[in-house]
Amino acid sequence: MTPGGRPVIGIVGGDVPAQLVRAAGGLPSRLTGSWTGALDAGAADLLGAADAVVVRLLADVRDGRVRCDGLVVCADSQAHVRLFSVLRSTAPTLPLHLLDKPRTSSPAARRFARFQLRRLASFVSGLSGREPDAAALAVAARDERELAAALERLRDRRIAVPPRCSGSIALEACLEAGRLDPAAAIARLDAARSDVPAAAVRVHLTGSDHPDATLYRVLEEHGCVVVSEDHGTGDGAWLGAAADAADAADLDEAIDRLVELHAARVGGSATASSAQRAELTLQAALRSSAQVVAGVVRELDEAPAWDVPDQSARLGEAGIPLRMRTRVRAGEEVAAARALAGEIVREAASA
Amino acid sequence: MTGNEAAPERLASAAAATAYQREWFHALPARVAAGEPLALANADAPHEVLRALNVPYVVNQWWSSIISAKRAGAASLAAVAARGLPDYSRQYDVLPLGAQELPAGEAPWGGLPEPRFAIAERGGDVTHKIYEQWGRRSGTETFLLSRTAPDPAPEGWWDLVPHRWEEVFGAERIDLLQGEIEELVQWLEVRLDRRLDRDRLARVMALANEQAEWNRRTRDLLAAARPLPVPVTDIIPSVMVPQWHRGTTWAVDAARRLHDDVARRIDEGAAVWPGERRRMMWIGRGLWSDLDMYRSFQEDFGAVFVWSMYLAIAADGYVRYGDDPVRALAARFVGLTDLLYVPPMSSSWYVKEALAHGVDGVVHLVADDTPGGALISAALEERGIPVLEIRGSNADGRSTADLRQRIAGFLRDRVAPST
Repeated sequence: MTPGGRPVIGIVGGDVPAQLVRAAGGLPSRLTGSWTGALDAGAADLLGAADAVVVRLLADVRDGRVRCDGLVVCADSQAHVRLFSVLRSTAPTLPLHLLDKPRTSSPAARRFARFQLRRLASFVSGLSGREPDAAALAVAARDERELAAALERLRDRRIAVPPRCSGSIALEACLEAGRLDPAAAIARLDAARSDVPAAAVRVHLTGSDHPDATLYRVLEEHGCVVVSEDHGTGDGAWLGAAADAADAADLDEAIDRLVELHAARVGGSATASSAQRAELTLQAALRSSAQVVAGVVRELDEAPAWDVPDQSARLGEAGIPLRMRTRVRAGEEVAAARALAGEIVREAASA
Repeated sequence: MTGNEAAPERLASAAAATAYQREWFHALPARVAAGEPLALANADAPHEVLRALNVPYVVNQWWSSIISAKRAGAASLAAVAARGLPDYSRQYDVLPLGAQELPAGEAPWGGLPEPRFAIAERGGDVTHKIYEQWGRRSGTETFLLSRTAPDPAPEGWWDLVPHRWEEVFGAERIDLLQGEIEELVQWLEVRLDRRLDRDRLARVMALANEQAEWNRRTRDLLAAARPLPVPVTDIIPSVMVPQWHRGTTWAVDAARRLHDDVARRIDEGAAVWPGERRRMMWIGRGLWSDLDMYRSFQEDFGAVFVWSMYLAIAADGYVRYGDDPVRALAARFVGLTDLLYVPPMSSSWYVKEALAHGVDGVVHLVADDTPGGALISAALEERGIPVLEIRGSNADGRSTADLRQRIAGFLRDRVAPST
């Protein structure tokens, strides 16, 4: 619980609208795991062939390193669904909830999405003892809009020439913003500023989600600056999504609006088509004037590797090179990022 | 042979099913050339709609098994890689995509005619991307259905699914798939310029249920029989070929024929291996590229594989009764794969089946894309049934290269003979 008595709702995945959790009396706290650290054999065995980041996350939960009063797992990747199934079978006392958002926008899909968000609100209310009434929804919507504005200011600093905030500082701020109260999150995002060498190669990052800023730092220590990204933990995190107060007189209206916002997003690679992902990558890279698009794809994080041919083709039309490292195994991530940075900087120098 | 009689000759129903399928497949090119639209459908797609609309379809995973068995897997994966796509991801599902690139002379059975429709549920992280690729092929359009996550996932589902499927899978999940099947119907109707006859769909569903009931009786016969009267390598085609023709009178007759063949073998006192001392269960997909493997431990260990998932899931997993055929169809597919892989649904079912079949040991092939392996193995071990867990793909011989040695070691060290 927070000092104010609100339950901390751990969140795995990117489909939870924070507004709903806050309005229902919870503090959303996004859990992303880490790039580095040993792989717990027990967790790996339970999950089977799963992304190492999720293995570390499961070990964190099982070993009590995650402090939360309830855990929401999004069905936005198979690794996350496995995590949910394992915890359901092995952690019977953990208040656990699955959020399963469909990936189409048909009437049937929207009905199911509404059902899922109503269940989510009930889950949080069950822990907080507080119903998400119109007033709470309005306050939470206002907070999200202000958070969205702070994120836009951060984006502007990153895409400036030269950038006024490095990618690693920006990513750390985004990750922390996913765990803080709105006011603190906005302050944290607005404080994300730094000088960036004018000669740094401007890189847009795609590929696997980045659970922490380790690889951003490696890239930026070797002559790059990450000016934008489309993976699910930086700019792709679903922060600042608000059901407008005017439309959200009650929970059902707020949920309807949030379902619309969900349907309008391009989800992560595991949920979106390769064509959608490639277009997202291209538009984000163009907006940030990236010189190169790069990415690291972890072994067993299958989906991003399927997008590479489309990304390469679309970026090629715009004259933007794509440099990827796929099938990167646990323990080899930092070396892969270092090699990637070397390749990018060498090519930029010779261009 | 060491004091044991020769194995009985191949089951008539297996030979008939295999011959039927080959003949059916070889007739496909002419049908497609004559203008019939072919569908490629994933195993968990609602085939019955295609059946009722009179659209011939090939099941992606069945075609994968043929590609594997005909040793065209490596060339197919190479074709996938040549397009810049990962050849290490969802290999079992992606083989047919690669095989389309093979010259007709190298493709199994002359190759699959280009499908008009590619239909799948959005299983895993990349099934939708594989089908996105299918949809880019000239003349092929893709339709994707949602795949909801397994929540709820109750134990003991096998007693509930025939009639009380709403309890097993949850009404809202079924609502979603029902709505999307209706969308699929409309999508097909527009392209085919024909209407779905709902009464025909109801008859297709009834035939599919009848087929499942025969499979249940056959499974129950085999569970009780000692020794095993029919090899699993005969059972698999006898079940799976009719499964892919589900909803036809031929498939019902084939299921009944299998039942009658098995009953006759039991009456005759037939034995796959009269010296049967260890009864083994194979959990996971079939090892199509090395079917001899299933028989290769009989002589040295008296070990007979008595169980594979194909008959068992056909017996327990498919039957759905209900007045609304579209809703019942949605209930058939909304969580079918979860029954096999998601604990506690999966683990409780494998334990039930292992106990019913008097299994002494389990070989558990856990593919990268199948979850829940460790919890399934643990549930069996908790009941005193030793498990050899192998992580690998049945579509990639590299990952199962030392399989026979490992199984032999397992039999020697952990599987005590039946008393």
